[in-house]
Amino acid sequence: MQRRIRVLIAKLGLDIHWRGAVTLSRMLRDAGMEVIYIGNQFPREIAETALQENVDVVGLSTLSGNHLTLGPKVVEFLRERGMDDVIVLMGGVIPPEDFPALRQAGVDEIFGPETPVQDIIRHIESRVGTPPTTEQ
Amino acid sequence: MAIRHTRGMKRLGLFRRDKLRQIERAARKWEQEHFAGDDPRLEQRHSYSGIPVKPLYTPADVADLDYVEHLGFPGEPPFVRGVYPTMYRRRPFTVRQIAGFGTPEDTNRRIKFLLGRGGTGVNIVFDLPTVRGYDSDDPRAEGNVGQCGVSVNSVEDMEELFGGIPIADVSVSLVTHLPSVTAAVFAMYLVAAERRGIPVESLAGTTQNDFLMETAIGCAPEILNPEASFRIQCDVVEYSRERCPRWNPISYNGYNLREAGTNAVQEVGIAIANAVATLEELISRGWRVDAIAPRLSFFWDLYNDFFEEIAKCRASRRVWHKIVRDRFGASEPRSYLMRFHVQTAGITLTAVEPMNNIARAALQGLAAVLGGAQSLHIDSYDEAYCVPTEEAALVSLRTQQIIQAETNVVNTVDPLAGSYYVEYLTSEMERRISSYIAEIEKRGGIVAATRSGWIHREIADFAYRQQKEIEAGTLKIVGLNFLRDEERRQEPIRVFRYPEAESRQRAKLGRLRRERDAHAVERALSSLGDRCRSRENVMPAVVDAVRARATLGEIEGVFREVFGLWQFPLA
Repeated sequence: MQRRIRVLIAKLGLDIHWRGAVTLSRMLRDAGMEVIYIGNQFPREIAETALQENVDVVGLSTLSGNHLTLGPKVVEFLRERGMDDVIVLMGGVIPPEDFPALRQAGVDEIFGPETPVQDIIRHIESRVGTPPTTEQ
Repeated sequence: MAIRHTRGMKRLGLFRRDKLRQIERAARKWEQEHFAGDDPRLEQRHSYSGIPVKPLYTPADVADLDYVEHLGFPGEPPFVRGVYPTMYRRRPFTVRQIAGFGTPEDTNRRIKFLLGRGGTGVNIVFDLPTVRGYDSDDPRAEGNVGQCGVSVNSVEDMEELFGGIPIADVSVSLVTHLPSVTAAVFAMYLVAAERRGIPVESLAGTTQNDFLMETAIGCAPEILNPEASFRIQCDVVEYSRERCPRWNPISYNGYNLREAGTNAVQEVGIAIANAVATLEELISRGWRVDAIAPRLSFFWDLYNDFFEEIAKCRASRRVWHKIVRDRFGASEPRSYLMRFHVQTAGITLTAVEPMNNIARAALQGLAAVLGGAQSLHIDSYDEAYCVPTEEAALVSLRTQQIIQAETNVVNTVDPLAGSYYVEYLTSEMERRISSYIAEIEKRGGIVAATRSGWIHREIADFAYRQQKEIEAGTLKIVGLNFLRDEERRQEPIRVFRYPEAESRQRAKLGRLRRERDAHAVERALSSLGDRCRSRENVMPAVVDAVRARATLGEIEGVFREVFGLWQFPLA
C-alpha cells in the first residue's frame, strides 16, 4: 500500500495570517495527504519538527516580508540534518521578483497569492510521487 | 439631543394597507411574467452572507417599516441613518490613510506626506515584532523588523514617529492589535505627549486593543490566554476613561475577523459580543455604562457586496443602540452611538492585474461613505505585493477626496434610506446579527467562545468554504478565476523596498540600554509583575515602566512570564 505523502505546514516566524495555511492544510488532507500543521515556528524548529515527523514536504507560509531572510534558513537547517530529499515550498505574499533568489537558495517552488490549491496538490504529487530508487 | 417618544403614538406604517396589497399582487404578476421560467436552483442569488436576493424589491417587502421607530433621524434613535445629525454635510468623514513601515523616521515622512496632501487623520500600523511585543533585537524579530509596519521599541521611537506632527490637533489611530502591546504602546504615546508638554486630556485618537487579535484572529509563536488578554483589554479601557476623555481606548476589530474568514453577520456579531463583554466587565468593576459606552468604537471591513455592506453599517448602528439601551439601560445619548472606522477589504485585492484594485477599493470606499463611516482607509492597489508605495498611497488618498469633493454623495445624509432593497437588507442583517450574538452568548460569551476554540472553528470553516467557492468559480474574482487573461500579462509592479530598519533599530536599542538606569527599569518591571498578579489595573505600572525607559519587549516579557502562554487552538 502506498504510503501517504507527509506534509509539514508552518507559519514562518512572526507572521500572523493563518487563513491560507490552515485552509491549505485542510485541502491537502482532503486530497489524502497527512498534514502536520505546526503554526508559528522559526527555521531551526521547523527543521527539527520536519525531521521528527519524517515529512516529504515542508510548506512555509508568510505574508509579512520575511521570506528572503527566513525561508532559505529553513532549507539550510533541513540540509544540515541530512534531509536533502525534503521539498521546501513557500506561499503567501512574496513578490515574483524574489522567486529566483529563493529558488537559488533551494526552495523548490513558490506559490503566490491566488494559486489554485489543485496546482499545489499536483505539484506535490509530482515531486514526491516516486521513491528515490525508481526516479527517472 | 431630543429623543422622540414613540410610545403612545399609533404605529404608523409608511404605506397604506390597501395600496400594499395592490403592489404585492402586481409584483407577483410581474415576477411570474419575467422570471417564472427560471430554474430556481440556477437563478437564486444571495448576498455574500447568504441572504437570498430577489430580482425586485417593492414596498411590500418593507411593509412594516415604521419611519420614526425603525429609521428615525440621523443623530437620534435608532441611529440607522447616522450617528450624528448632520453627518458629512457639516463635517466630512476623516481621511485616515494608513502609514507604517521601516523605522519611525521613515513613517514620520509618510505621515507628513499624507497630511500634506489633505489627509485629516493619522493611522499607524506597526511591524510584526512590535505588534507581538518583541524588541527589534530579539532573535524572533529577525527578518520582520520594519516590514509591513513601523518598528517601535521605546518612548524615543514614539517621539521620533510623531516628531513635527501636531498630535494635539489631529486624531491619531494606533493599530496596536493586542491589549498587552496596546498597554505599552499607549503608555509610550502618553509619555511622549507628556514630554512635549501636551496634556493627555487633549489627545484625540484610538488604540485598537482587541483581545481577539491576540487569541483568535492572528496566530503567533507566543500568546496570552483569552482571560488574561481580555483583562488587560479592559484595564486599558478603564485607564483611558479615567484620564483621556477624547481617546477611544478600543476599536472592536471586525476588519481582521473578516479578512481571517467570516461573513458580514459574523463580523459584526463577534465584535459586538466583545463590546458587550467589555461593558459587563467594567460594570462589574463599578463603572456606569454611560461612562464607558461613549468611547467604545468599531472597525469594519468594507467588502464587495455593495448593498450588503451598506446595510451592515446601518444595521450595526441599530443593533448597538438597542443593546446599549435595553440590555445595559444606558441613558446618555452618546452611549448609543456606534462610531466606526472602515478599511476597504484587503483580501478582495488581487495580485494579478493589480490596477483593478483601484476600482475595487473605490467602490468599497463609496459603500463605506453611503454606510455612514466616521473615518476611512482605502487600500492601495499594490497591497497584494507589499506595503504601499508613495504613488499607490496617493491614489488611495485621492480616491477618498474624489468621493468627498466630486460625487456629491455627501450633500445629504443617508441617501439610501427608503430604498426598498436597502431597508429590507438592513432589517435582515439586524435580525441575523442579533441571532449570531445570541449564539455566542449560548456558548458563554465571547471569552468562553474563544477559550473553547469555537471562534477559531467558525473562522476556519468559513475560510475553507470560501476557498472551495473560489476554486469552483461560484465566487467570481475578475482577472483571477473569471475572465482570466490566459496570456498572464505580468505588468511589472514596483515593489516597495525600504531601507533596512533592523540594524538602525538595533543600534538605537543598544544606546537606550546603555544610557538608562537599569535598576530603575528592573524595579519598574518587577512592580508591573506584581500588578499583573493582583486584581488592580496594570496600566499605571506600565506607564511607570515606560517612563523608566523599559522597552516594549521587556514589558511584554513580564506579561508572558506572569500570565503564561496559551496554546492557540489549531483549527
